[in-house]
Amino acid sequence: MPGPTDLHRLLGALHQGRVGLSLDTAHLCYLVVLRVRAAQGSLASFTEEDLFDLYLQVCELIEPDTANPKKRATNAIAHLREQRLLRRVDGAGLVRPGEYTLTRLAVAVVDFFVEDETLTTESLTVLTRALTSQLGAVLADARKATTERDWRIGVLEPLRVTVSDLVSGIERRQRGMDAQQEEVRERISALLQEDWFAAVDDCEQLLEDTSTTLRELNEVLMRDTTHLQALLHDIEQVAAAATSEEAVDQVQHVQEHLDRVAAWGGDRQRAWSDYYQFVQRYLRGVVRLDPDRAVSQRLRDQLASFAHRPFAFNVADEPSIRLLRDEQGKVERPPVTSPGADRERLPELVDPDPAPLALRRSVEEALGAGCQTLAAVETRVLGALAAPERYCAAGRVASLVAERVQVSSPLERTWTPLGELDITMEDWSLGPVEEQ
Amino acid sequence: MIEQPYVSLEDVVQDPVFPDVDIALRRGRHIDLEDSEWFAFLADAQSHLEDLYRRFGCELIRVADGYFYLLPSGDRLGRRHLSRGEMLVGQGLALMYLDPATVKAAGVVPVAQLLELLTSLVGRDRLIQMLNFRKRPPKDERVAEETARREVSKALRGLERLGFLERLAEEEIRLRSPLMRFADPVRGLTDPAQALARLVERGEVLLEGDDQGSAGELEEALPPEHEGREGDRRK
Repeated sequence: MPGPTDLHRLLGALHQGRVGLSLDTAHLCYLVVLRVRAAQGSLASFTEEDLFDLYLQVCELIEPDTANPKKRATNAIAHLREQRLLRRVDGAGLVRPGEYTLTRLAVAVVDFFVEDETLTTESLTVLTRALTSQLGAVLADARKATTERDWRIGVLEPLRVTVSDLVSGIERRQRGMDAQQEEVRERISALLQEDWFAAVDDCEQLLEDTSTTLRELNEVLMRDTTHLQALLHDIEQVAAAATSEEAVDQVQHVQEHLDRVAAWGGDRQRAWSDYYQFVQRYLRGVVRLDPDRAVSQRLRDQLASFAHRPFAFNVADEPSIRLLRDEQGKVERPPVTSPGADRERLPELVDPDPAPLALRRSVEEALGAGCQTLAAVETRVLGALAAPERYCAAGRVASLVAERVQVSSPLERTWTPLGELDITMEDWSLGPVEEQ
Repeated sequence: MIEQPYVSLEDVVQDPVFPDVDIALRRGRHIDLEDSEWFAFLADAQSHLEDLYRRFGCELIRVADGYFYLLPSGDRLGRRHLSRGEMLVGQGLALMYLDPATVKAAGVVPVAQLLELLTSLVGRDRLIQMLNFRKRPPKDERVAEETARREVSKALRGLERLGFLERLAEEEIRLRSPLMRFADPVRGLTDPAQALARLVERGEVLLEGDDQGSAGELEEALPPEHEGREGDRRK
């Protein structure tokens, strides 16, 4: 079996080479005839004349009205050669007519369609005996083997070819047996559909026969595979002692095959057992109790008219036991909020600030003293204040003045320095002091 | 003389299988030969358990087809009636169980086959109407079909819990012998209506008209716009 990398390469090569297989029924029949004739006559190859004769026989049998069969035979032989199903083996070229043989592919194709080998107790016994004998010989050779050549001829090749072929033979017959079981199932189903009650005995007989065969096969497999595995185990030990890794691998490969063969018996036995029980119940509960097959039709009618006459079956319905949680006091869950700051602050009690009142009083005094301009008032009031406070107080003084008197100024106001106070301001003329 | 495995009810109750079987029966499970251990237990303890369940107002029924179930008649144990979807699906599956073609696959059938059968027998529109239990069926055809498919799926789950079938994969089911219960009204030689009446008398069956108007009214209620309201009716 190719590894993943080999597989990729193989697929690539197949794809690149546009490899395909095309085969119609006439070609297949022709191949079957060739295969059967070769087997019956122990023929290693066919002459061209044989090939033509056999094709004409096939034609006569399956398509008797065919026109120009010789031409068709030529085409068929050429087609089978193109498909790698027929190969010329004499190598004589133009010197003389050729000899042909079926390829491995052709043999496999024919075997797939016509092979009806199934596992029987007899065939299995013969195969397992041959296998036991072969493995016994391999074990004896393995014990005597001293050189690599001894191992190859006495152990490796027999394991690879003879033993593997025998195990594959069992597997192939197992597949035949699987197909036979499938056929039995189909046949039972068909028998019941056709004959219903009259088919009960035949169905039971088929069931019994297949069950008996399977049981016997399983018994033979159980008995013989243990012995075969023991032999393989001995060969493996001898190979391991002789450090022949290739032989150990080959033995393990055969062991895996054999495990698969043994598992098959158990699997089929179980699957068949389920099927057997189902069919027995069916025969007993359905077919025997309804020999006229009337229940199906009446049930069909019941279902079709269910909307007219609905009914319902009464069934027990105990709900699951309720597991109540422990009682708890009601938990009040406050709404989710974020902590907020208290924005409503109480007013602070502070000492009154005397400065605004003193400033107002100073302004009143200045106005009362007859100052006629804002600059005169500012000079008088600000002169009494400390230097850092003067600039801030200048605006407040102007505001207080405007509250108390009518002020006016020319369109172009004049900038007047306030004495020695180092402040220059736009001057206003002041009107008479209004009475409060 | 056959030896009785259980001398008294106490022996039965002491059996480790008893709690599981008891719970399953009380939940309406049908126990057949495939539940081999439970079935064997019930077969052995049948006489004791019949007395026990009779005291709860129930009857332990053993059917010749090879299954047990509990039939409640009083109010001491919970009970319900199968929904219309379960009844439809159950009858369809029983029909498939009877079909010899099913024998080949040992009773394994695809769900799609069930839908095809129901559609062909009941009719697509009627089936959709019967499976859409709302007062006003969906106007959109696709939604109505989807609802019907969902109801079939729900019915299959319900029937599986009751032991009528086994779901193998999403779209495959294995039919079991208790499905033959759905064929009970038509199995005898008598008229199906009489057989149904006898099942009603025994408390096995409820005619829908008994608690939802007369039986014939359902048909009138269904087409063209309305349909009967469905749901489990627990008591």
